[in-house]
Amino acid sequence: VRYLMLAVMGLALGLGGCEEKTPTGNVVPPPAANSLRIAVVPKGTTHDFWKSVEAGARKAEAELGGVVVTYRGPEKEDDREQQVSLVQNLIAGKYDAIVLAPLDDTALVGPVRQAGAAKIPVVIIDSGLEAKAGEDYVSFVATDNEEGGRLAGKKLGELMDGKGKVLLLRYQEGSASTALREKGFLEAIAKFEGITVVDPKRYAGPTRGTAQEAAENLLSANGDIAGVFCPNESSTFGMLLALRGRGMAGKVKFVGFDASEGLVEALRSGQIDALTVQNPVRMGYLGVKAAVDHLRGKTVEPRVDTGVGLITRESLSSPEAKELLSPEMLKAPLPEGS
Amino acid sequence: VSAWLTRLSPLVGLCAAVVLFLVIAPDRPPGLMDLRIIALHTVIVGTAALGMTVVIVCGGIDLSVGSAAALASVVAAKVAKGGGSPGEALLAAVAAGGLCGLYNGVLITGLRLPPFIATLGTLGFFRGAAKWLSDKGPVSASPGWMEGWVQLVPAKAWMVVAPAVWVLAGLSLLTSAMLHWTVFGRRLTAIGSNEEAARRAGVPIRRTKVFVYIAGGLFAGMAGAILFARLTQGDPTAAAGLELEVIAAVVIGGASLSGGTGSVAGACAGAVLMAFLKNRCTVLGWENYIQEIVVGHIIIAAVALDRWRRMRGAA
Repeated sequence: VRYLMLAVMGLALGLGGCEEKTPTGNVVPPPAANSLRIAVVPKGTTHDFWKSVEAGARKAEAELGGVVVTYRGPEKEDDREQQVSLVQNLIAGKYDAIVLAPLDDTALVGPVRQAGAAKIPVVIIDSGLEAKAGEDYVSFVATDNEEGGRLAGKKLGELMDGKGKVLLLRYQEGSASTALREKGFLEAIAKFEGITVVDPKRYAGPTRGTAQEAAENLLSANGDIAGVFCPNESSTFGMLLALRGRGMAGKVKFVGFDASEGLVEALRSGQIDALTVQNPVRMGYLGVKAAVDHLRGKTVEPRVDTGVGLITRESLSSPEAKELLSPEMLKAPLPEGS
Repeated sequence: VSAWLTRLSPLVGLCAAVVLFLVIAPDRPPGLMDLRIIALHTVIVGTAALGMTVVIVCGGIDLSVGSAAALASVVAAKVAKGGGSPGEALLAAVAAGGLCGLYNGVLITGLRLPPFIATLGTLGFFRGAAKWLSDKGPVSASPGWMEGWVQLVPAKAWMVVAPAVWVLAGLSLLTSAMLHWTVFGRRLTAIGSNEEAARRAGVPIRRTKVFVYIAGGLFAGMAGAILFARLTQGDPTAAAGLELEVIAAVVIGGASLSGGTGSVAGACAGAVLMAFLKNRCTVLGWENYIQEIVVGHIIIAAVALDRWRRMRGAA
């Protein structure tokens, strides 16, 4: 087997050599045979958020050197079964490390342990896993979601002057990151005694379309609300469309989570009052970096916080907001090893 | 008389559901706004269900409608973003749906694939094409006047419900007339009832089937255009699983999956019933899982009741 591997490596080097000599000039140097193959598995590939995570992962690939990043999500958004199969295929493909955003906090525990058994370290990003950091997986690199929810709750309470009814549209059953945001939000909003929370435990579902329908039905049942909170991009966008449809946009205090072109536009026009934003570029970057550091024998903290902040119409032009929101955010400098 | 009863049974089922919810929650009857929401939430499933009715009456099935609708919504958004007028975006979406239908039809008649398999394949193909065309993310664009079609409260008060609902009503009448009063309609019903007999009677099987799937695709494209108007973006991941809701609506509406029978009015009633249940479950503050359990059993009950009635009618 060793001879076979040597032969394969020799072949790879040989091919690499050939490639470099091609006359096109701008050929990217092919990865050396000993470079680290890191697989990055998002929850889906179509949300703006995951595109930013990919940008961060690519940035790490370019900066760290000797690293090849494969970015591959489940074909169907939010399909746990497909993500489980995908991780198992990556284990079979003998990647050096896997950076995973688990769709479910328990369904992915098995595959992560299988990777561990196959000596493939796993770094968890974005959403928690019901397993031990530093043991079942290397590190948990994510936003402090509960803190994000608390920030949103406090802001919304202040915007509503501490009185009135507030509506919560939840995201999806079993999604750990958004459940923590919802928990943090409820905790912070409960401190305002004049505010009643309407939480019928209705879920927005996976797409903006399903979120819009759920929001329209909810608003029909609760027309007298003074404030709304939604825990992610698609639920916030669906709620925004529903509020617009009923002529309530801008009249109801609205705090959302995550950012996209459409949401920032609504923030600018006053239809959304505040957005709680994470730093997905940094999450992708630090996720890959944690995996590479671990493989190269450096110590990696079991929990890495990637930061969370609140952006309002007023703070839109601040440099901090610019870094997180503008399309140029992908080129923004990243802090060293934070 | 019994034929009329059979035809009306989906409406009876709908009325039963309405009465049931009035009994459960007499203090929260559906208001005007609820009716508007239910009507609007019927449009996408209902539009696609018109095409599905035609396909199912002809003895086929189309599992690719959700994917085709998503693809059409991306096409519409791309056209609108590229400076096309809303009318052009609408036409492009419908045309894209038609092309999807043509592809299905050619696979089914040309390669003689079972419709279930052919459209299972194109379900993946169209979804992939939508993601590729949209560069994997939603394409945001202004739907222009099409956005007015899906306003919950229409700009012109006399319309009461969103204009898209009236568009659906118009399309339903046209489809129903097509099924009952045109040669094409009679031919496709004949194929669905007994393909061999239809062949001997000289019905051009292949040509008719291709047109049937094109019709199904055109309606899926229309549903995609409405999806784009609702979301103000073409979303390649939208409408996943739409095909099951659409098939459920058609079946609740009294269609037989073995072909030959099916009604446009029934399919619309089926679509309304599902939107109604979603609205009521939300208003009553029931959690999602209760709604899923209830809707599943309504589908089972509707079809079982229909079977029972038919069997009694035949005896």
